[in-house]
Amino acid sequence: MKLRHLAGLALSVPTALGLGALLLSEAVVTSPPDGPAAHYLRNSIADSGAINVVTTVLLDYRAFDTLGEASVILASVAAISALFAGAAPDRSEQGLSILVKTSVGYLTAVFWIFPIYIVFHGHLSPGGGFQGGVSLAVLVILVYVVFGSRRASAWLTSSRLHVTESASAFGFLLLGTVGIAQGLAFLTNAAAGFPTGSTGNLLSGGVIPLLNLAIGIKVAAGLGSIYLDILSSDGSR
Amino acid sequence: MTPEVPYYMVLGLVVVCALGAVLIRGYITSIIVLSIFSITVTVSFAFLRAVDVAMAEAVIGAGLMTAVFVTAIGKTRRRS
Repeated sequence: MKLRHLAGLALSVPTALGLGALLLSEAVVTSPPDGPAAHYLRNSIADSGAINVVTTVLLDYRAFDTLGEASVILASVAAISALFAGAAPDRSEQGLSILVKTSVGYLTAVFWIFPIYIVFHGHLSPGGGFQGGVSLAVLVILVYVVFGSRRASAWLTSSRLHVTESASAFGFLLLGTVGIAQGLAFLTNAAAGFPTGSTGNLLSGGVIPLLNLAIGIKVAAGLGSIYLDILSSDGSR
Repeated sequence: MTPEVPYYMVLGLVVVCALGAVLIRGYITSIIVLSIFSITVTVSFAFLRAVDVAMAEAVIGAGLMTAVFVTAIGKTRRRS
């Protein structure tokens, strides 16, 4: 380690620690007692019927911001697939041994349960479409690593994942236009006629479970196709 | 032992893992330390009761980014 590395460390570590401590104390001190956070905590169940306040903020009060985040992922997927377009997948990969293939083949059914649970219980428990979708994308990676790209690329192709991602993003937008059709705001939840159900049930929260499902499929297909695009590039270009 | 002590221990581990991920020479070792960093950040988020963020950090940092980094380095390494 050179001397200038040490000097950089000696400068940057205290600066980062001090800035972090300053920001944390500022955030705690300046949070107003009757600001938006207090309003959300008081009214979120009455407004949307969903228990998880974080999900209510993400998909009801601030659903338009979530649409922006989803389009950031869409843009990055489009950029990566444009970079690596046309490269054939590496078909020499055979995957792992027969022992791993057989056991993971059975266990994959169990691995499906966790992401699906996370997505469908997004309005009741921590998690939601994004977390469950990333878990599904990791499942795509697992299938490719274990079974090898020769077998997996027969049905799990990058272009199919792109189509799935675009379709679910379109579904998110369609759900948002229900409010506009009735003269309300974009992505209106309960006021646009979505039934809020009885609080605590799986079928509650109005449009929130449907938006969670759309985001889950979209994130899973998008991040999975990022991995497949990187995998199919030959690295020399 | 006050309840804050385990939290500060986890925060110290976060700093150690972050420095290790930057300073360690080998690519693969650095990636592994980076995923350990994600796990420690996840634990600190769980201490702060931000379970949604902790879940996202766990699946992205430890699951997805590790696979993407390992694949990218395997693709770009010169074959000799």
